[in-house]
Amino acid sequence: MVLVKAGGQRTLVLAEPSRDPAVLLADLSAAEPSVRRAAARDLAPHPEAAMALCDRLEVEASPSVRAVLLTSLIHLQSPTVAMRLASLLRSDDVPLRNAAIEALQEMPDAVAPHLRDLLADEDSDVRIFAVNILGALRHGQAPQWLTDVVRSDPHINVCAAAVDGLAEIGGPETLIDLEALRRRYEGNPFMEFAIDAAMRRIRGH
Amino acid sequence: MAALFATRQKDPSPAMTDEEYAKFCEFFYRKTGIQFQAGKKYFVDRRVADRIEKTCSESFRDYFTMVRFQVTGEELQFLVNAMTVNETYFFREDYQFDALIGGILPEVARSKRRNEPIRIWSIPCSSGEEPYSIAISILERWSQADSWNIEISASDIDSKILHEARTGLFGERSVSRVSAQLRSKYFLPRPDGSFQICDELRESIDFSLVNVVNPLHTHRFRDIDVIFCRNLLIYFDDVGRRETVEMFFDALSPGGFVCLGHSESMSRMSSIFLPRKFGETIVYQKPLSAE
Ligand SMILES: C[S@@+](CC[C@H](N)C(=O)[O-])C[C@H]1O[C@@H](n2cnc3c(N)ncnc32)[C@H](O)[C@@H]1O
Repeated sequence: MVLVKAGGQRTLVLAEPSRDPAVLLADLSAAEPSVRRAAARDLAPHPEAAMALCDRLEVEASPSVRAVLLTSLIHLQSPTVAMRLASLLRSDDVPLRNAAIEALQEMPDAVAPHLRDLLADEDSDVRIFAVNILGALRHGQAPQWLTDVVRSDPHINVCAAAVDGLAEIGGPETLIDLEALRRRYEGNPFMEFAIDAAMRRIRGH
Repeated sequence: MAALFATRQKDPSPAMTDEEYAKFCEFFYRKTGIQFQAGKKYFVDRRVADRIEKTCSESFRDYFTMVRFQVTGEELQFLVNAMTVNETYFFREDYQFDALIGGILPEVARSKRRNEPIRIWSIPCSSGEEPYSIAISILERWSQADSWNIEISASDIDSKILHEARTGLFGERSVSRVSAQLRSKYFLPRPDGSFQICDELRESIDFSLVNVVNPLHTHRFRDIDVIFCRNLLIYFDDVGRRETVEMFFDALSPGGFVCLGHSESMSRMSSIFLPRKFGETIVYQKPLSAE
């Protein structure tokens, strides 16, 4: 016979014994990635562990452990956690930076207080990442913030990122600013193309 | 007839206020990962009202207290059974079974020792059509099937639907995509028009009650080669999806595969899996050297 029955019955555990947070914190730097993943996951209900998770994230090399650290940090989200994650936008480690952007998109209320600062950062790359966050943020103000970028950011790549974001979440009220931006970059085929595409999308055809 | 008319006409008053509804949804989400969209209030309310009545609770408040603090978790299980959407049928999204037979299993077999079983996990399995379809596809179509031991596990959070899966009785609609030849080989037609799956299949699948977002339920699943997780993540929010695929990472062997439903993609959930294309189907692979 080819099909063999797996392991047999095991009873279901209903009670949920929680592991000692002190042990979990120590496990965050265990040698085995699977132990670190389990620790990161089980610390999700412990707000007092948030900073330790952020510390670990900064040195963690395993992508799978990073992923779990970030999921737990989404659970524990707060403006402080968001600030720690925002500092990773300056990292040269591209996968880590992208993972931080994705996690920040999941915490609209926690990241909102920092967005003004990020959008005003002197490093245009940081501003681009802030715009990327906004493009997928479920926050009522996100379209307005993107419009502000289109109106006032001097850097073409930041504006281009904001145009992409507005194509996703912008309403008809943003068309006038997109038209103004198009005039600003008249003759630049890349910008004209991106803005036209966004406006078509917002108009719904 | 008259009575039926009367109850139809009277719109039942809601069991929950908006505030209670929000609280209930939050609680249910924490327990199951399932998120009710805004338009689901009526659906949820009717089912909660039914449980309030069946448990003879005085009010929503009494009922909700009972659900939260009952040690056995029995009432929570009833609620879960009432709220889940169990829609499924044999050979649903069958291009994934093509990918399993034509691409995934041969690849798994190449890197496996003969004395080790190939392990497949169908989660959620609902009434069992998916794991049975997997078994039939392998037996019928995989040329190497005879050389391997294959273990199929199948799990769901809904205890009532699992009972149906173990029983293996299916209606015409559910088997509509099963050919006459396969019907006669693997099913026994019954006088009432239903179909009984053969005992050999029924007994070869390990069915178990599992809530995917509860690590205590999932930690025994290890060294799995292929996970089918179709039409579950659509009911979850982004965080629930992340948690689920991260759990799959622990459950899989290096190089193991995840097959999601056709409207589900892992791109927004996780970058720790590699997308792989078999024919027109994209499945997700845990990297061989992953950690
Ligand atoms: C639509 S069925 C999918 C069945 C099959 N995979 C298919 O695609 O046809 C969805 C199933 O998910 C189960 N489910 C919902 N939440 C779950 C959870 N947290 N853990 C395990 N199963 C869950 C439901 O009980 C239901 O049977």
